[in-house]
Amino acid sequence: MKKNFKLFWLFSTYSIKSAFQQRLGVVLFTLGKLLRFVVFFIFVYQLLSKTRFLAGYNINQTIVFYLTYTMIDNLGQLLFREVYRFRPLIVSGDFSGILIKPYHPFMRILIGGIDVLDVILTLPYTILLVYFIQKAGGFTFLTAIIYIGLIINSLVLTMAFHILVLSLGILTTEVDHATLIYRDLSRMGSVPMDIYKEPLRTLLTFVIPIGIMMSIPVKGLFGILTWNVFLYSVAFCIIFLIGSLTIWKKALMRYQSWGG
Amino acid sequence: MITVKDLVKTYETPIKSGSILRDIIDRQYKKNIALNHISFEIDENEFVGFIGPNGAGKTTTMKILSGILYPTEGSTKVLGYTPFEKNNKFLKQIAFVMGQKNQMLWELPAIDTFYLNKEIYEIGDASFKQRLQEMVELLACESFIDQPVKTLSLGQRMRVELIASLLHKPKILFLDEPTIGLDIFAQAAIIKFLKEYQSRYKTTVMLTSHYMQDVQRLAKRIIMIDHGTIIFDGMLKDLIRDYSEEKIINIIMDEPLEKLPAFISHYRHAYTFPQLKITIQKSQLHKILPQILESVAYNDVTIEDEHIEDIIKKIFKKKNTSS
Repeated sequence: MKKNFKLFWLFSTYSIKSAFQQRLGVVLFTLGKLLRFVVFFIFVYQLLSKTRFLAGYNINQTIVFYLTYTMIDNLGQLLFREVYRFRPLIVSGDFSGILIKPYHPFMRILIGGIDVLDVILTLPYTILLVYFIQKAGGFTFLTAIIYIGLIINSLVLTMAFHILVLSLGILTTEVDHATLIYRDLSRMGSVPMDIYKEPLRTLLTFVIPIGIMMSIPVKGLFGILTWNVFLYSVAFCIIFLIGSLTIWKKALMRYQSWGG
Repeated sequence: MITVKDLVKTYETPIKSGSILRDIIDRQYKKNIALNHISFEIDENEFVGFIGPNGAGKTTTMKILSGILYPTEGSTKVLGYTPFEKNNKFLKQIAFVMGQKNQMLWELPAIDTFYLNKEIYEIGDASFKQRLQEMVELLACESFIDQPVKTLSLGQRMRVELIASLLHKPKILFLDEPTIGLDIFAQAAIIKFLKEYQSRYKTTVMLTSHYMQDVQRLAKRIIMIDHGTIIFDGMLKDLIRDYSEEKIINIIMDEPLEKLPAFISHYRHAYTFPQLKITIQKSQLHKILPQILESVAYNDVTIEDEHIEDIIKKIFKKKNTSS
């Protein structure tokens, strides 16, 4: 365990060092991400300053939904950024060099490339999230714990999804489109699931499951989550993770190590 | 140390049907046999040259032995482990250097990869320092280990790749084309290093190379593989003894010849003053040599074995004709 933490730290340090080799790129990408965040933030704010409520949630609560989505999305990208760089490793066969190292390959291909841009952005997102949660009110110590627990649940689900993408990468060399689909779908979770009509709402909440990842933690925070849905979220996450790991093992057996 | 029994590896490749729709909905696959029931054993401290044409199955075998690929059939045991299980204790005892692949941190100086490998292989501080110094000296790369890897020449990169792979003193070293693309000086430096390293640390080495001279200079034992089947497994000297059918007489002359003696034209020869090269059957040597020496004024005469490349080419050709 100690070795894994040390390796995680080293991979992260080297990833940040590598990113800073192109300083202009760091500045431009950070600005781009901030711009996207601010534009959507203004959109939500403007929309609700006119309508006052969105699917029964007031402006502060809606912003908490958006900020929770942003935080989970940001943490997912921060932790699992290396997945987006997996395809070249497969196509060139360089993944073979990782498989012969005495650590779990996930140390390198899943969490081995902390994105420095997202690290920078985590701080303002956290400050804003805490500020708007306080402003929205309506939570207790227990619901706050449930909220944090469900965010962790969402991150595990995000990890399971990324493991699935890695497996797909080995089996088909397809990574980019799968991650794009994931990102497009997860973006639907930037607003409460309640705004979508049935059956789309149930589909997005429980099947795909953007709702479990993005909306349900906030519902837990505001104390409007039933225990059944809470347990379903956790069970879904565990089953999805086990499924992803099983597919990963099968994919490794079919790895062909191209490129000589 | 390495035991391979009845090893089979097949790859599936898609077959194009001519219809895009059918290729998407009902894609058909063809099975390609990369390894066809091969068996061999390698003992401790052996340096084995693994040779064969492209696609023969050399790299596939090494990738199975290092746990990268999953074998379709058969059994492999390396240091008592099943490689594909990827036990960390096993992986800490092997290294795989691939001439065409980069295992270094591309954007950062080589020294950063060395420090990373120190943690990966849990090498103690003192041992790491001593080992690094030794490797850096042996490979003469002190001047560029602080440069980003992306700025190194191919020869320099291969040297730092070797250091990164050997810092943890692996018991088994897999070398896949370590000198590919290198100039003759870099190639010679790597070969010299490998020879010295193996004799010093008694590491078991499996080497593939298309440069037969590399194999000849390093390996005592040869495993020849073609179309996934082993066609020779034995000592290099035995290969030369059993399969070399010709000798090359190399004559350096004092004066240019006005006309080549008539009997020489019956043999394969090449003449450019001052050198005359005649290739003859091994069995004819005692008969032909006195004749040659009588008929030309020579300065020096040497008799060489047939080049290893030619012997190997002949074996492959013979094998392909018979099958």
